[in-house]
Amino acid sequence: MPVPDLFREGLARGWKARDASRLDQDLTLETDIAIIGSGAGGATSAELLSAAGFKVLLIEEGPLKTSSDFHLLEDQAYASLYQEGIGRMSKDGAITILQGRAVGGTTLINWTSSFRTPEPTLQHWASEHGVKGLGSAELAPWFERMEQRLGIAPWIMPPNANNEALKRGCEALGYSWKVIPRNVRGCWNLGYCGMGCPVNAKQSMLVTTIPATLEKGGELLYLARAERLVHDGERISSLQCQAMDARCVNPTGRTIQVKARHYVLAGGGINSPGLLLRSDAPDPHERLGKRTFLHLVNFSAGLFKDKVNPFYGAPQSIYSDHFQWRDGVTGPIGYKLEVPPLQPALASTLLGGFGSDNALRMEQLPHTHMMLALLRDGFHPDSTGGQVQLRGDGSPVLDYPVSAYAWDGVRRAFHSMAEIQFAAGAEAVLPLHSDGRYVKTLGEARQMIDGLSLELFRTRLGSAHVMGGCAMGEDPRQAVCDSLGRHHQLENLSIHDGSLFPTSIGANPQLSVYGLTARLTDGLIERLVSGR
Amino acid sequence: MTTSLPATPALSRRGLLKFSLGASAFLATAGLGASLSGCSAQSPAHGFLTLREGDLPILHALIPVILAGTAAADSREALLQRLDNKLASLSPAMLKLTRQLFDVLALPVTRGPLTGIWGSWEGASSGQIQAFLRRWENSSLNLLRMGHASLLQLLQMAWYEMPESWAQCGYPGPPKV
Repeated sequence: MPVPDLFREGLARGWKARDASRLDQDLTLETDIAIIGSGAGGATSAELLSAAGFKVLLIEEGPLKTSSDFHLLEDQAYASLYQEGIGRMSKDGAITILQGRAVGGTTLINWTSSFRTPEPTLQHWASEHGVKGLGSAELAPWFERMEQRLGIAPWIMPPNANNEALKRGCEALGYSWKVIPRNVRGCWNLGYCGMGCPVNAKQSMLVTTIPATLEKGGELLYLARAERLVHDGERISSLQCQAMDARCVNPTGRTIQVKARHYVLAGGGINSPGLLLRSDAPDPHERLGKRTFLHLVNFSAGLFKDKVNPFYGAPQSIYSDHFQWRDGVTGPIGYKLEVPPLQPALASTLLGGFGSDNALRMEQLPHTHMMLALLRDGFHPDSTGGQVQLRGDGSPVLDYPVSAYAWDGVRRAFHSMAEIQFAAGAEAVLPLHSDGRYVKTLGEARQMIDGLSLELFRTRLGSAHVMGGCAMGEDPRQAVCDSLGRHHQLENLSIHDGSLFPTSIGANPQLSVYGLTARLTDGLIERLVSGR
Repeated sequence: MTTSLPATPALSRRGLLKFSLGASAFLATAGLGASLSGCSAQSPAHGFLTLREGDLPILHALIPVILAGTAAADSREALLQRLDNKLASLSPAMLKLTRQLFDVLALPVTRGPLTGIWGSWEGASSGQIQAFLRRWENSSLNLLRMGHASLLQLLQMAWYEMPESWAQCGYPGPPKV
């Protein structure tokens, strides 16, 4: 039985959605609220604002792709659903950055892991970054609301073999592990969350808040890049957008001018600060784009006698926070252990080497286990993250030097992952580093890891989580926005996305974005209503 | 910023930094030179969206080395189409960087000194190409390391996105929905 494409059915019923790539003339649109970005922050805000009776225009740079477009093929997904055609990297090219770029944003291609913002993170924001009113207790009802909205619950099916190995290894060593809560309903356990869910089980923005917004008469404009906010230093008067071609590579030359009473910026880390930089937004204390954090990720491969088939099954269902907080919130960098899904193209670039070295590693793909460590950046004075800058063509790029503090965590994480993989029964383990090779004992692995020269490019690094760059906090000398998401200088601008976070989260950030932006939107609605 | 390469690669940190900046400028100039001179056309080759005529011999030489041990060389044309499609989806900034990389590899004035391949790509042995890849991987210049990483990533991803590659790596393909 074919899976119904709920979005296309909605469009057929008359939802207002405009493909800017097809415009044959320039356009001016007026609305109550212009929301820039249709990912976790923007679409959550859109649903609540439209339910409160405001006319909402949701603006997305990427294309509209719906369940019937998702064919579980890496080439199609990477080219159409990821920022810069999956070419996004740190400025020096050493860290691949996976972010979504399509209607639904990163929620379309994330691996569904949904964690509440850890309590130590929220406490740290309150005590060190002047964030007010966003403690665990204050956010709890918002997390609960979004968990219900998006079907977030610990995964009930058995983990796939890739996740199972993490669990087994932790159990053998007495390390803590837990089941990951996922935002799915009726999940088929396929394993292709990173390529768009073909069965509309993932409760991404594409199947939840965006349809709800459109049902309420909200409007969607896609393949439209927010180019510049026009302002006088105090208020925004309009937003200039460029229509993009169907591949979302080059502007077509058509422009869209958007006039709104209020503007909500939700382009995510990198793109949100990028738009404000392009717009010459007031930044008297030079905070914009600073303290942009990644959960820097390093990897360890393990070979198992039995098949792991790491390309199939819910990609992430088990995690360990054993090494996350044990040295204190501000001690040596903590890390969360998880596993990634491993379809062949992604696997080939992770496994490293070329020629027969790489080919032999790839031949063992079905027996390969992969583990990753997410390093918690931004909690220590030596951990200041990176900075979003503009390239010559105005596009944003993240300059992200890897600190000695972070490298120390990379090495410890290599040790932890090798230990867990051997404890789970791995026959050989390979830290993903140019000088790494499969070794058969933990002793050999430890010796090799201690000897690795940890440097850019030699160490395989990636990140799927960009946070900060428009940090929130009550002190304008430290932050871009206040704790209500209001821009400190531009009165009709709110920022509702992960760029608000004053540090990284210490967990996959989607639920942090949902919960925070739901709360911020509630406050925004109150202010808009009282000012109406 | 210095725009010329120092006569001897300096060993000090400061010297290395200067060399790195010099190399960047050198590469950028080479790219510019290539785009200004008629000999390296910037327009796509026939049948391609982004790949230029001058890129093709480089890729033909690299495929059997970077993807040695696979059947990629048998599907070279299809592989180039995949790669072309990938490049056509990159942001203009990333495509420009990639083209500069190909320019550096194509122009004799940069190819010889930076890769050690002094003759044409068609004549380069797999040993020479392996040596060039190792040299860039272990270079002290991040720019060359980045070039090495990009070449591997582009070709490996393009190949393993092709169903022709899946049998050998034990991937049964995506399930039917």
